[in-house]
Amino acid sequence: MNHTIGTHPADKELINRILRGDNLAFGTIIKNTERLVAQIVFKMIPVAEDRKDLAQDIYLKVFHNLPGFKFQAKLSTWIAQIAFNTCLSWIEKKKKLLPGILHEEEMHPSANNSSRSIRMSAESGFHGLPNGSEFEARLFQKELSGILQKEIENLPATYQTLIILFHQESMSYEELSQITRLPEGTVKSSLFRARKMLKENLLSKYQKEAL
Amino acid sequence: MNTHHPSEKEIQEYALDKSGTPENSNHIESCARCSAEVKTYLFLFSEIKQSPQPSFDFDLSAAIMPLLPQTPPRLSADRFVAGFLVLFITFFVGIPVFLFHHYILNIFSSIPPFFIYSIIACASLFVLAKTLDMHKKYQKQMRLLNFN
Repeated sequence: MNHTIGTHPADKELINRILRGDNLAFGTIIKNTERLVAQIVFKMIPVAEDRKDLAQDIYLKVFHNLPGFKFQAKLSTWIAQIAFNTCLSWIEKKKKLLPGILHEEEMHPSANNSSRSIRMSAESGFHGLPNGSEFEARLFQKELSGILQKEIENLPATYQTLIILFHQESMSYEELSQITRLPEGTVKSSLFRARKMLKENLLSKYQKEAL
Repeated sequence: MNTHHPSEKEIQEYALDKSGTPENSNHIESCARCSAEVKTYLFLFSEIKQSPQPSFDFDLSAAIMPLLPQTPPRLSADRFVAGFLVLFITFFVGIPVFLFHHYILNIFSSIPPFFIYSIIACASLFVLAKTLDMHKKYQKQMRLLNFN
């Protein structure tokens, strides 16, 4: 899905139907944006049991606030903004109630079994596959993807969210700024730091193994 | 060849969309160290793009649809109150100010300078306090987002 600024005419029609009392149209909105909301909720909320309640809470907020939606952004961006804020409120609440819950190591275990792939990937400059059979190459690629995934999970929640929304959901800096309600410059510098951190984490793992 | 290595930020930008100055681009293309950095970032971007996407392990629509009220959503009472206040202020403050602004200016011209400076000082203090409060809130949000 390509998220660009501007509202899709179909979104307007769906909202009008909901405001006329057609709740089934809301089901279409859920289907259209479920993936994006899942990206945010999974990256921000480490406690799996809370995700269902949060997802419900997000969409109920969306439903009740639809009359106030002014089409200044794309509907999906607006829903992502609600999802992000709801997750932030959850984090704030949990930090007050149970300090430390968001920093548990077991929630983001490091990839201890990843040394071989890291070594191989660093030797090939992280840009190509090592020499060997096609089967080995595929195996290596799969393993490497898993390692990177774990390294992404080790980043702070907000960095994970920004990285995924920018690189996987192809969202622009402007849209990320709308979602996080942070200045565009802050979003850019945060993304820069997140990418740098991710790269350095991968390389430091390799260097530790190489010694 | 330009021997000055581009900054990490410039390398990231080049890896993202080949943007940057021609000098930096030429350097990156001919410098083994910088090319390797760019390739590392390209590898990361491509892997992130292909990483598995999470999905809820339950039917989200089925979980939410029964919770929706049967009546269509309406603007909350807060918005009506806010709208009423704007109208009220416009009517009872804006219109008199517009009609009697000459008299209002005369009131100010008859006030001693000391009072005018006091009013300006109070207003400045108020703006300063508000700015500090905004900054404090911003810092709190940054801490919450783990950006600091």
